[in-house]
Amino acid sequence: MTGWHLDDDTLRRYVERTDSLAEGASAEQHLLSCEPCRARVNTAASVIELSVIDFAAVWDRTRDAIEVPRASVFERLLRGAGLPAQEARLVAVASAFRGVWLVGVAAVLAFAALAAAVGHTRGMWLFLAVAPIVPCLVVASSYDPWMDPALEPELVTPYPMLRLILLRTSAVLALALPTVLLSGLFIPTEEPFAWLLPAVGFVAVVLAASTWFSPLRSAIAVSSVWLGVIWLLALRSGAPEAVLQARVQAAFLALAAASFSIFLVRRRRLHQLRPWR
Amino acid sequence: MDSRPSDEMLLLAVAERDMGAFRTLYERHAGWLAIRLARRCNDRDLVADAIGDTFVAVWQKPQGFRGDGDIAAWLWGIAIRRLVSRLRTRGSVAAVFEHAGVAPAAEDQVLLSVEYGDIGQALARLSPEMRAVIQAVVLDGLSAREAAQLLHVPVSSVKTRLYRAKAHLRAALAEGPS
Repeated sequence: MTGWHLDDDTLRRYVERTDSLAEGASAEQHLLSCEPCRARVNTAASVIELSVIDFAAVWDRTRDAIEVPRASVFERLLRGAGLPAQEARLVAVASAFRGVWLVGVAAVLAFAALAAAVGHTRGMWLFLAVAPIVPCLVVASSYDPWMDPALEPELVTPYPMLRLILLRTSAVLALALPTVLLSGLFIPTEEPFAWLLPAVGFVAVVLAASTWFSPLRSAIAVSSVWLGVIWLLALRSGAPEAVLQARVQAAFLALAAASFSIFLVRRRRLHQLRPWR
Repeated sequence: MDSRPSDEMLLLAVAERDMGAFRTLYERHAGWLAIRLARRCNDRDLVADAIGDTFVAVWQKPQGFRGDGDIAAWLWGIAIRRLVSRLRTRGSVAAVFEHAGVAPAAEDQVLLSVEYGDIGQALARLSPEMRAVIQAVVLDGLSAREAAQLLHVPVSSVKTRLYRAKAHLRAALAEGPS
């Protein structure tokens, strides 16, 4: 630091922008290394008519920005996939994305897979009963108002509900499917992933049903029906593979397509998600 | 020296998540940074956003300062780039470089020639477009691409204007004051 400082006139001209380029450049170069002169510019900035910006307001915004909790890994992943920051937060805020919930899902599936590996036929039935309904339960919980207290303020914001639900559904499936697929690897059958179509069908049914009822109730109803069907089939015939044959798969595909169409047609009714608390 | 903590100490404290130190750093630097940014962009809101972005970046990565040179220079480097990136996302908002351009009075001219020799006069004779490019690239140290975003002109224009401005200055300085 030298003993040289900006004189008052130069400083005033600099702040008022009435100086020449060369003079301004010289002042700026000096300011970078001279704290006393920077302090004088700060003082001038706060008093002149030309008060550049509202420093208190900018400070408040800055503090708010840094006090927001750091984005979760999942949220940063969504942003990496090209989703704008606000939407990523909106999608990630659902309770289905809390680690505990996913661990629970993984545990259930691992248990089912284990049962299948050990108990053969009976275990296979168990896996068949559990695996297809997990995705629709997870999806339902990702936008059920009862599970997600953040949803209420979201519903009054002018944000397309359809988009939110579809974003969350795909996000949750992207998260849940690897777990489910992984556990499928341990199933002793020729087609370990044949239950995927039923799973997709149930997700679509839940989406469609949530234009009438609460998503979680729909998912529970669908799950109960499926469990009942599996129970009856297991009692009557002993071959679990029967459920997975091609004709049944085609039926599930049709179910998925039909339900999704209903969901799209009735998407305006999604606003009725609001009343249930 | 006085007992006030240096910028370096403040930055270390910020790395330890010290909000008080962060506040002090903001109070010390937001003012002159905003004044300097406002000389490059007429949109107050944009300048305010860029200042906010700058300090958020400082809070998130105080270790970005590697201990070389002045913290003020480091902050300026962040701030001008934040402004450029704000301009890029805002797109249509014009960053007007209208340097007040009041002709220096006679005594100022004398002062200028004392302080800067002939450079001041040579610079003063450049067209505003060329001056803006000189300011962005030579004085602010932006890359040609960043300067192009700041000035809303193609990169190629920045390069040709810079080339011409340099030739112009070289000729003016070789001739001596006219």
